[in-house]
Amino acid sequence: MSYILQTNHLTKTIDGKELVKDVSLHIKKGEIYGFLGPNGAGKTTVMKMLTNLWKPTDGSIEILGETLTPQSYEVLKRMGSIIEFPTFYGHMTGYENLKLHCEYMGYYEHGSIENALEMLDLTSAASKPVKNYSLGMKERLGIARAILCKPELLILDEPTNGLDPAGMKQIRELFHMLCREYGITIMISTHILSEIESIVDTIGVIHHGKMNKEISMREIEQMSLAYIELSVQNPEKAAYVLSEKLGLTNFKIVEDGQIRIYDNQVSTQDLSRVLALNGVSVSALAKKGETLEDYFLKLTEGGEKEC
Amino acid sequence: MLKLIKLEWKKNNIGKYIRNAAILAVILYLFLFSFAFLGIANDPDTGVPDTAPGNETISPSIELFTSMSFLVFTGVMLASFIVSAYKNKTMNLMFSYPIKRQKILISQMLAVWIFNFTALVLTKLVIYGGILANSRFLESAFPIDFDMTGPGFYIQLIVKAMVIVTMGFIALFVGMAMKSSKATIITSFLLIFLTQANIGDLTMANNTVLPVILTIVSLAFAFLSVCRAETKDLT
Repeated sequence: MSYILQTNHLTKTIDGKELVKDVSLHIKKGEIYGFLGPNGAGKTTVMKMLTNLWKPTDGSIEILGETLTPQSYEVLKRMGSIIEFPTFYGHMTGYENLKLHCEYMGYYEHGSIENALEMLDLTSAASKPVKNYSLGMKERLGIARAILCKPELLILDEPTNGLDPAGMKQIRELFHMLCREYGITIMISTHILSEIESIVDTIGVIHHGKMNKEISMREIEQMSLAYIELSVQNPEKAAYVLSEKLGLTNFKIVEDGQIRIYDNQVSTQDLSRVLALNGVSVSALAKKGETLEDYFLKLTEGGEKEC
Repeated sequence: MLKLIKLEWKKNNIGKYIRNAAILAVILYLFLFSFAFLGIANDPDTGVPDTAPGNETISPSIELFTSMSFLVFTGVMLASFIVSAYKNKTMNLMFSYPIKRQKILISQMLAVWIFNFTALVLTKLVIYGGILANSRFLESAFPIDFDMTGPGFYIQLIVKAMVIVTMGFIALFVGMAMKSSKATIITSFLLIFLTQANIGDLTMANNTVLPVILTIVSLAFAFLSVCRAETKDLT
């Protein structure tokens, strides 16, 4: 399997402090990669290294088939990025800022600026100086700039900051469209999983500068995150019945009388019948699903407890 | 490179600087005009100019005030073109472009250098020319000690302007090291005192070796500022 972006044991140390340690990312061509982590986990640090703003202390980065070095400039032409908050020249208009970007990128295609402005609903604001823009408008202009030169790879650091829910939805749809129709590979970082859950193909979770897990959404779906929740009067007895009579092993007693059964082989009918036969009174029985958010929290918090 | 320099001017709103430089030139002209013809520097008791030794004629004053003003102007421009670009993160944007960082920095430095060199030369020409023209009709308190007919005058004028504007790079280096626009401007002030001021009879203004040394030091600092950019992390 070839990857469009790959890092090998990427490490960044500043003043003896390890901001990022041993991160190995793998992003396939044409997918949307969600880069998740709580605040301060090292997302921006990794992204700064990917865009060559920071140089890694150790490890290597391969982008578009090239190993990144301090002299890698050509590869930047094929990438679009927003790192931290997008910056503009305040006294110039939105249109002029984008035009300037084209000049520096060496990209001249008629109508591309208008097109990008329209995609982000900024056509009417294009002739206003950027200093009069709202936070959300600047963020959208930043996205417009990142996609302006038709990059093959987009690296976006928390691109939905400062956007309202409607704006977020619109941006999500835009990313989805860019990925499916133009084949652009997108890497998005965020600390709010639900924002991107619906569009990502793969997620990578970083915590305390270390890569916790890299997993595709398909795998997550196959993993049985669904469980059956059981409320009983006597959990010990119920547990005995579950293991002895039904042969279940994958369950746990959560709190006062609640049992979660992760085994998806058993049906609720069987459960209630067997439990009733053995004299366990069931007060509630329900099928539940663990959300991805819970899973994500488990990954990041679990890591913390182990430490 | 020329294109990068032009983009720098455009980005940093060069029109504003052209206007300010023009205002500065007019003020300098009026000031030096009053010096020469309105007698503002004259001692009220004796009626002759109250000057430091070696500054009895008009051209040292012209040199002093124009150089001083434009060195600070260069400092201000370097601060806003480069030092504050690091601070407000537009440098992050610039360094995400497929252009060598060194080339970007050199283009920014040249953008400031070319502008200030041109402005300083033009201002000096206007002031020297204006005072010379007026001296035909009015009597100057300071003797007119320059001759605008020979090429020597112009060569000297250009070389001096080059030295002054290049010295701005020392201020830039200090400003970049301290990550402060204020430090850039203050350093340019200090440079004036070093080169132009006098304590009693002691002055470095007439020293011929000093400008050469300063130019070399400035270029070394300029080189250092550019060299470190390539591998340094942006914070």
